[in-house]
Amino acid sequence: MIRTLRALFLARLFREKLLLTGLAVICVLVWFSSLAGQGARFVHNVYVTTAALRDQTLWLANRAAIDTAAQTAASRLEASRTIDSIHLLSEVQAMATEAGLRNVNIGDTQDVSNGQFAVHTLMLTATKTDWATITAFYVALRQRSPYIGIEQFGLLADKGNPSLLNANLRISSVEIVRN
Amino acid sequence: MCASPLRLLRAGPPPPRVAILSDALFFTRAVPIAPGSSAPEVVGQVELAVEALAPFPLAQLYYGYFWSPGSERALVYASYRRRFTAEQTAAWSGVEWVLPAFATLLGAEMAPATTVLLATDLTLTAIHWAGGPVPTVVLTRLLPPEVTAEARLALRDELLRAVGESRTIVDLTEPPLPQPARTDREVVFASGEFRSRLPLSALTTLDVRDRGDLAAARRARARDVFLWRILMGSAAACALLLLCELALAGGGLWQKARLLKVNAQSPVVGRIMQEQELANRITELSTRRLLPLEMISIVASKKPPAIQFLRATTSGLVTLNVDAQTNNAAEIGTFKTALEALPECERVEVHLQGSRDSLTPFTLTVTFRPTALKPMAPPPAS
Repeated sequence: MIRTLRALFLARLFREKLLLTGLAVICVLVWFSSLAGQGARFVHNVYVTTAALRDQTLWLANRAAIDTAAQTAASRLEASRTIDSIHLLSEVQAMATEAGLRNVNIGDTQDVSNGQFAVHTLMLTATKTDWATITAFYVALRQRSPYIGIEQFGLLADKGNPSLLNANLRISSVEIVRN
Repeated sequence: MCASPLRLLRAGPPPPRVAILSDALFFTRAVPIAPGSSAPEVVGQVELAVEALAPFPLAQLYYGYFWSPGSERALVYASYRRRFTAEQTAAWSGVEWVLPAFATLLGAEMAPATTVLLATDLTLTAIHWAGGPVPTVVLTRLLPPEVTAEARLALRDELLRAVGESRTIVDLTEPPLPQPARTDREVVFASGEFRSRLPLSALTTLDVRDRGDLAAARRARARDVFLWRILMGSAAACALLLLCELALAGGGLWQKARLLKVNAQSPVVGRIMQEQELANRITELSTRRLLPLEMISIVASKKPPAIQFLRATTSGLVTLNVDAQTNNAAEIGTFKTALEALPECERVEVHLQGSRDSLTPFTLTVTFRPTALKPMAPPPAS
């Protein structure tokens, strides 16, 4: 059949042969270009999915170890002394008042829980205060450690009165959920 | 409409287009060739022989020859160009080969002392092989109109006598016709059961057309074959691309299955990651404490008077970033050196931020040794 097609092709006029060949070459180039794009996207997707699967496999393989680590971490704490989000807010408010902090602003608590444990976090901002007051509040917080802890601390001089300080604290508490 | 191209494909390749000329138009001679001559040398010898035999210069002749490598003779034939009309020669441009009828039979393998008699409506030609692949004699007689069987037989006998002793005589009554080509390297002519295979190298010398025209035709042919190969290459590439498309489609299904697996595992993995984060945070809260005021106190203890702290923030458990400024830039280096000398400090980095109004702002990043930081003592109860 190829010989027949060849004979038919060779019997055409030169311009017809040129047109047929040109069209075939253009078709191949257009198809190749399209396929190359699809292929590149496919390879990228395969790469991304492979990486995701590998990560997931790693996490799944370490599930027991992570669970054990969480249990071990929680075992250092006394369940009855752990603090839920309501108690965290009230205790921090009480400590701030007791330390003499004014202009205190406490944000909403954020909770992360796996059903067995929970970590509650809130942001506290105190403005126009002094070093001694902040130190008193800090010491009070530290006495509730490890059930209440500071995760992030920022201190800056007040722009209006550089002798005063503004403080930002991210305070967290751990709760062991009682069944 | 659809059946016609299919029938065309099923019919197989068409025979090559060959213009077969009347033998009566050509005079033929077997000329000696010097032993051991190469093909280009044979061309020269043949042209010399034709010039010697013909009353016209080569430029006014259509001629060709048949020679087999190793043979010590060549069969040459020529015809005065004016014996062909302009219409006849114009028709040659559309064909692949132009040769006299007897030349189509020269590719047959013949035993010594064999004579082939080719009869057409107008001529009777005798081709005699005394030995070897090149015929020794080719004689053509024109048949008179309305020739009788007896007259034809008498002419046949005369030709047989003229060519010499023949042990084998082959009578061909059908005109030799080119057969559908299976290869480009040869053309097969058939007359009844008789077959003559002429290789391409022989056909190029058998063609009677002008050598310049033949060269141009060969170039055009080579160009067309090149275009055909590009077309075939494109077809092969299309087939390959189709395979790639199929592979990509198959790969897409495989990838889809993997994505389903990723999506199915995502909630479980998310929970494990959250558990890990919780474990880390509980561990940090219960075992490692952030001591920001202690860090600030240590850094402030070495602060030169000209340096003013603007902001202090913690980064992780053991790193303190301090934004500060001074009106005496030289003290920054002194301050850094003093901090580096402290046993609690592991690393001290200073990032200068240019200078404005004689004030030099800078950022100090102090990394403490985790075990060196001690919690400050609680204030005495008042």
